[in-house]
Amino acid sequence: MDKDKRSIFSKYYSYWFVLPYIIFLMILVLFPIFTNLTLSLQTENGFILGNYLDAVTDSTFSKVTFNSMLWTFSSVAIQITIGLTLALLLNQPVKGRPIFRTIMLVLPWATPDIVAGVSWQWMYNDMYGVLNDILVKAGIISDYLPWLGFPNLARAAVIIANGWKGFPLAAMFFLAALQTVPVTLYEAAEIDGASVWQRFLYITLPSIKPVIITTVLMTTIWSINYFPLIYTMTGGGPVNSTDTFVTYAYKEAFKFLNFNSAAAISNISFILILIISIGYSVFLFKGED
Amino acid sequence: MKKKSLAFKIFIYSANIIISLIIAFPFLWLIITSLKTYDQIYSFPILYWPTEITFEHYMHIFRLDFPRYFLNSIVIGLGTALLSILIAVFPAYASARFKFKGKNSMLISILLSQMFPQIVFVVPFFIVLRQLSLLNTYPGMMISYLPFTTSIAVWMIRSFFINLPQSLGESAMLDGCNRLQVFYKIYLPLAIPGIAAVGIYAFLFSWSELMFAMSYLSDKSMQTVPVFLSLFVGQYQTRWGPLFAGSIVASLPPMIVFAFLQNYFIKGLTSGAVKN
Repeated sequence: MDKDKRSIFSKYYSYWFVLPYIIFLMILVLFPIFTNLTLSLQTENGFILGNYLDAVTDSTFSKVTFNSMLWTFSSVAIQITIGLTLALLLNQPVKGRPIFRTIMLVLPWATPDIVAGVSWQWMYNDMYGVLNDILVKAGIISDYLPWLGFPNLARAAVIIANGWKGFPLAAMFFLAALQTVPVTLYEAAEIDGASVWQRFLYITLPSIKPVIITTVLMTTIWSINYFPLIYTMTGGGPVNSTDTFVTYAYKEAFKFLNFNSAAAISNISFILILIISIGYSVFLFKGED
Repeated sequence: MKKKSLAFKIFIYSANIIISLIIAFPFLWLIITSLKTYDQIYSFPILYWPTEITFEHYMHIFRLDFPRYFLNSIVIGLGTALLSILIAVFPAYASARFKFKGKNSMLISILLSQMFPQIVFVVPFFIVLRQLSLLNTYPGMMISYLPFTTSIAVWMIRSFFINLPQSLGESAMLDGCNRLQVFYKIYLPLAIPGIAAVGIYAFLFSWSELMFAMSYLSDKSMQTVPVFLSLFVGQYQTRWGPLFAGSIVASLPPMIVFAFLQNYFIKGLTSGAVKN
């Protein structure tokens, strides 16, 4: 009996390791996704795509789509640029590097989302905000601006805050990648008379290209899905001007208790992510050949 | 390598210092403001350095039962971390060390599940948890966080197992260990840094999470710190004082964890993406 049990274990051992996880995936991942799909297809008039049609034809939808695109692409551009620049800086040997690294890479990232939102919201405050004070004293603006009160200013404001919150992840990945580039490559290039810029362009960039591509994909998905910062800072306002798919769907569900419409909007945002990911993969495989 | 010029060194040092100050500023400003009296918070022109320091906002949040919210966050965070590790460590080990049918489809489905926006899960979980009377409970919150922590956990722990030499297990088996013993006697202890990184990730995810907690925890005695803080943010008026103090206290656990464990963590997080 005991022997039998053991032989079943050793014959299918790998499946015993994996089985609990597969069950977990089915109950806690597949089932909710399926439920959300069913919810989104339940309508009063019987037309199964009714919720999607209603969502897309709603006058705010195009605004929310525009916001989501702007939010995602600007956030990714800012996070990747700052992340790469700071990774290059932190890759230089200096005394006290662990302290600089902790401040630059860990502080914004370890700050809880809502705390980041609160902190930036206060800095952007039109009356008592430190940003207005600094900008006026520096002569960049002449009057205090209501940063979170005008649509375009509010869009820029939440994107900048998200840049601060999100660049450390990109920088961590880039720094780890930079540390795997062999020093001998740089030494050889220096002997051949390559400038700093040439070394960056012909050694650094090609060596960390795979990591850059993965990081861009990750920060893209992450930005599309990111909720708490916008929700805390503006709640999607003024007049939906900072609403993304996620905040919009959330309010639809828990403010207006419209679960079916929320399900449809959230699925649209998933389809968007899927298209982007497939696009990246195609681009990635093209680059490999 | 030839020595860097002095000008270059000065440039690098000043860049490090100036950029660190700029990046730290939002958080430093939060600390300073949390110690100001209301008069000085609302002073015009802005007072950069408070002339009198007060702890009234900190006292205030403690009177509002802050320790209770803090405890809720700790319990949900630890539970999420432990469950994520427990669920992830076995498939991570199997997919790193064994060949089996369906392994690639499993790995792909992990990646795919990571792509689903959290918002897709909010309503379905709400409906299911309501039916099971698990809203406003610790297990209910942990369950709704697991889909987002376990898939990353599998990837991170897997990359740790992959980097451990195959020969260790082979020689242990020659010494008479069975496969299960090889797993928990040989490989598991060696993967502890990776497992720790995963635990920290899951804890911090749960610590900072707002959307699910806000929707599922209507009962004040069960709410987490982010939900507590979100109640001070009003559409027309925000109560800044307690919000600042609460924010600082809420940031302490992640900051402390990172201060001590950042090397483990960064290594664990990036080892999947960056191959040596």
